Amino acid sequence: MTSSADHLAGQAGPTSAVEAGAAGRPSRLRRLRRSNWYAYLFVAPSLFGVFAFLLLPLLIVLGLSLFHWELLSSPSFAGLANYRRLAGDGETWHSVWVTVLFVLLSIPAQTVLGLLLALLLNQRVKGVAFYRALFVVPWMATPIVMGLVWTWIFDPRDGALNKLLGVAGVSGPDWLTDPSWALPSVAMVNVWQYSGYTMLFFLAGLQGIPQELYDAAATDGASPVQRFFQITLPLLNPTTFFVTVTNLLGAFQIFDTVYAMTDGGPSGSTEVLNFRIFETAFRQFDFGYASTLAALLFLLILAVTLAQVRFFAKRTTYDLS
Amino acid sequence: MVKRIALYLTLAAGALVSVFPYLLVVLTALKTPRQLNRTEPWEPGLPPTLENLDKVLHSGFAGYLGNTLLMTAALTAGQLVFTTFAAYAFARLRFRGRDVLFWLYVATMMVPSAVTMIPLFLIMRELHLVNTWWGLLAPYLLGTPYGIFLMRQFFRALPAGLEDAARIDGAGPLTILLRIVLPLSRPALGTLAIITVITSWNNFMWPLIITSGDDTKVVTVGIAGLKGSIGVDPNQMTAAALIALVPMVAVFIAFQRYIVRSVVLTGLK
Repeated sequence: MTSSADHLAGQAGPTSAVEAGAAGRPSRLRRLRRSNWYAYLFVAPSLFGVFAFLLLPLLIVLGLSLFHWELLSSPSFAGLANYRRLAGDGETWHSVWVTVLFVLLSIPAQTVLGLLLALLLNQRVKGVAFYRALFVVPWMATPIVMGLVWTWIFDPRDGALNKLLGVAGVSGPDWLTDPSWALPSVAMVNVWQYSGYTMLFFLAGLQGIPQELYDAAATDGASPVQRFFQITLPLLNPTTFFVTVTNLLGAFQIFDTVYAMTDGGPSGSTEVLNFRIFETAFRQFDFGYASTLAALLFLLILAVTLAQVRFFAKRTTYDLS
Repeated sequence: MVKRIALYLTLAAGALVSVFPYLLVVLTALKTPRQLNRTEPWEPGLPPTLENLDKVLHSGFAGYLGNTLLMTAALTAGQLVFTTFAAYAFARLRFRGRDVLFWLYVATMMVPSAVTMIPLFLIMRELHLVNTWWGLLAPYLLGTPYGIFLMRQFFRALPAGLEDAARIDGAGPLTILLRIVLPLSRPALGTLAIITVITSWNNFMWPLIITSGDDTKVVTVGIAGLKGSIGVDPNQMTAAALIALVPMVAVFIAFQRYIVRSVVLTGLK
């Protein structure tokens, strides 16, 4: 078998003309087997990674959620005991609520702001690249670092925010120590960090909408508001889908910012589920119950993602392939 | 005209809010504690001082910075190599189970890292890799499903003609990948590299869990430690923040177009 025939077999799809030219020598089955060999070698390291560091841990976490296991003892099978404990664990359900509240405080704001910035930048602005760059800068800020910086900005006495408000004659609240302000403050940091990145996707989406559609609508007498709701928004659906799915995945797992700013406090008002999992596992060393909480977070995220897929599937033709 | 002015004012306000925390970091890191007390946070301290940076670097941050650099370099190299091979196979080679495996990859993108932290820690403990470089790097060294998804999209969009021609000339898949495909893939590889550099540099939760000694402590964990030990001393905290942020800002300024391109690569244009 010549080496060129060998590689032809490894080629999928659009080269069928070339492939046909080489057909006939080795049997189809043998060619397939030959081609496998190379491809598996290419995929092997990453496949090992996915199995060892993603799928295996997922199985372990689901398994461990059925065990009693605190660090010093050895694990013992507990059946559904952890889940029964979960059902009556008011603090955990409170942290689920805090997580949902955090998502509701940050995702709509950051989606709308992102879209707004994109709409502004899409109006033949001079220096688009400059503004676009500045808006995206917060996205790559190290969250734990910016969490600390914002903690200082939010400081009720010495912080820049209350000093600025003071200049305007407003006395700002105790942002991070007041239970009713702490979560909105953390959410504000999240909105600060991700609105610009969201804008990037919307801007690309806007630029993909053909101008003729707007021209035609204008000829038909559609107002700018009508054009926005009848053309822009529907055609942005794939972008909106992608942006909300990825932003939601991130927001449900918020950790670094909470760790830096509030450590879950004051009085549990910022204790999101992910932070509670961390505390249960790595501060109380209760790995069994922490795994149950992790399974809960997984199911929560899965449910929300599937709901979004269903919601947008009706409204878009999103092509993943 | 009024509308134009309002537009630019809004954009300028947005830009100011975006960079304001960065501005504070620079200003405060270069102030003495005396200047900090006498000035508003947004005013510069004159003359600027390097005393805070010096102090922070000598309190261990020079080492943490080295560790972060090493971790970022290793993870980015690993991501580029292993992701390229796997993504190319998924995009262009034919093998049994390809589509099933690829959808498995896409599905694992949905697995939150928070969920895998506990078992990963337990696996590393079982292998005696807690507080070691291998423990720190292993989970991310072999590439991520997201990276493979990104690169596969890019490879599929390349015209197959060149590869066919090389194949007719007798080139093997490895040669084709290295000589033909990779040189065409610089934009995508650049994007993947930048995203990996930023996520590795910013990584906090896993290093926090898996490392404890100074030998493997990275900047993010070091900075989180500042909070506990000295309350929040703005001078030192911002000096440490400056050390953590400057390299990423430099990377961003140098490779900005690759970040913008990541949007295109996810297939959303």
